[in-house]
Amino acid sequence: MISCLILSALMFLIVTFFVVIMNDCSVISVIYAAFLMFLYIRMTFAEHKKSGSGVIYRRIFQTVFAVGFCMAFISDLYAERGSMAITENALSSAELPFCHIAIPQVLVPLLVTKNIIFPARITGHYAAVASMLLIWFICTITVGRGWCSWICFYGGWEEGFSHVAKKRRIKLLPKNKELREFHFGFFFFIILASLCELACVYCDWFCPFKLVTEFAPATSIPTLIAMILFIGLFVGLVVVLPILTKKRTQCSSLCPFGAFASLTDRFSLFGMKIDTQKCSGCMKCATTCPFSAIDIKTIQEKKGHPEITCAKCGECVGVCPQKAISYEFRFRLNKGGCACGSSGSGKKSALQELLHPAHLFRFAAFTFSAIMSSGFMIKALNLVCNFVTSIGGAK
Amino acid sequence: MVLEAILLGLSTGTYCTMYCGPVLIPFLCGSEKIGYKRNSGLVGVFLLARLATYFVLGAVFAALGFLLNEYCDPVLARKLSTFAYIFCGLSLLCNSLGVKFPWGCGENGGCRAPKLRRMGNDWITAIVTGLAVGLHVCPPLWTAMLRSVFGGNGITGLFYFVFFYIGTLPFFIPLLGIPFIAKRLPVIRRISRVTQFCVSLYFLIFLGLISLL
Repeated sequence: MISCLILSALMFLIVTFFVVIMNDCSVISVIYAAFLMFLYIRMTFAEHKKSGSGVIYRRIFQTVFAVGFCMAFISDLYAERGSMAITENALSSAELPFCHIAIPQVLVPLLVTKNIIFPARITGHYAAVASMLLIWFICTITVGRGWCSWICFYGGWEEGFSHVAKKRRIKLLPKNKELREFHFGFFFFIILASLCELACVYCDWFCPFKLVTEFAPATSIPTLIAMILFIGLFVGLVVVLPILTKKRTQCSSLCPFGAFASLTDRFSLFGMKIDTQKCSGCMKCATTCPFSAIDIKTIQEKKGHPEITCAKCGECVGVCPQKAISYEFRFRLNKGGCACGSSGSGKKSALQELLHPAHLFRFAAFTFSAIMSSGFMIKALNLVCNFVTSIGGAK
Repeated sequence: MVLEAILLGLSTGTYCTMYCGPVLIPFLCGSEKIGYKRNSGLVGVFLLARLATYFVLGAVFAALGFLLNEYCDPVLARKLSTFAYIFCGLSLLCNSLGVKFPWGCGENGGCRAPKLRRMGNDWITAIVTGLAVGLHVCPPLWTAMLRSVFGGNGITGLFYFVFFYIGTLPFFIPLLGIPFIAKRLPVIRRISRVTQFCVSLYFLIFLGLISLL
């Protein structure tokens, strides 16, 4: 209990500074800060009561952030260019916003040619290459692939749609391995094609999120084909399949950043472990996992951890009837292994509870999310307020 | 002249490997049998096929010389590249789907050309993709080609081309180490097959057919 209060107090300080003070203490920023604090406190105390029961607050946050981000981003585009379409001027002057999905595509050509192949600013902008690379680096060593389930402003769309239907219409569990192989196969294709073409091939042809951000205007047959592709991919992989499968299909089959984050996740501080002694093999975790990171083989072969694509969303923690899945520190703090978070006998001290990997991971991920979302969400909330006021005024 | 050609190859070889990488890396990693000898053989066959195309191109361009300016389409390089992508995409697609070439031998069926019995699907793919990649006129190749065309007589131009090619070869040496990784990570083979399939469709549709529209 004390650990929850300490963490909530620390989060309050972080949210106050990054959300309220950094946004001139506006009313909207206070409202958003209150929303964040509500989510964090509810999540922390729910997790304290029953581990895995706080995931609903993560889902709410990510879905709201995805919608808010797109609203703020599109309004920015309209203010700057008058449309969502990429203009010749923006393209030639390298003014396109750079997003994290483009990172794996630019890294290899950057190493070979010493050039950034994406037409974006290098510094001096929130969506510049340097700032996104810095965010990616911090993310890699802290939450790792947890980015996808906590912070990614696109993933929230799938998160939302995957919880629309009550029943799972298509079961992907027997195809998890093939899905992962396709994901990495597609990732390597994107890397090689980007290197060959010296262009961000995924952004040019396969990104489904162009529908909710910016896109090349359909002025020729290739751009028309690209438009058909991104609309089709958005409808198929971000809307229809998540509803039918209750999985994040785009994140676990197409997104190159997801595959890249899976490969670099071993450098992060946190991981997930499956206690093979406790596990009864009921497969509830494998069925629930939205990232297809737990297979029948993972459980049968007693691997002791989910597969490489685990995004540490915590969905499996809550559904496990044996409480066999938990967060862990990837690096042992001392020779005998860290006792932090171990459910040993006897009463846990407040400090031990505070240093529990699950608490610390959620704290790190939520801090990251709060900082990343504040600017966009406050802009989106301002837009909603203006819209509501204008409707009220018109009446 | 020889030194200049080799140095041109050495200084621009990175770009050659960047163009050949999407063809060779998934193909070699996803190869039917993994072994150093076989892998080196496939790389060698691919490079020899590429050299054969270069040799033909070099001979044609060197023979044409200044006539090239008069009679050749200025966007020839682009057209050649488009056809190279289609040609290469088709052969990679066949390989990734396990389709046997007409002269290949089936599991139980007879061979159309028994003398080529030992030529498996991978070897044919290495030759075909090598020939196709040779047609892809990348910037370094274009530089060598122009130097060869306007460099003097036909034979000199031809050899300039060959030495340029030799200059690019060191960049392919890392590919010989592919079995080292593939043997340790068997999943690489299946992933590479997917990559090869995606690359083949990308070459065929996005870089080939769409460019023709």
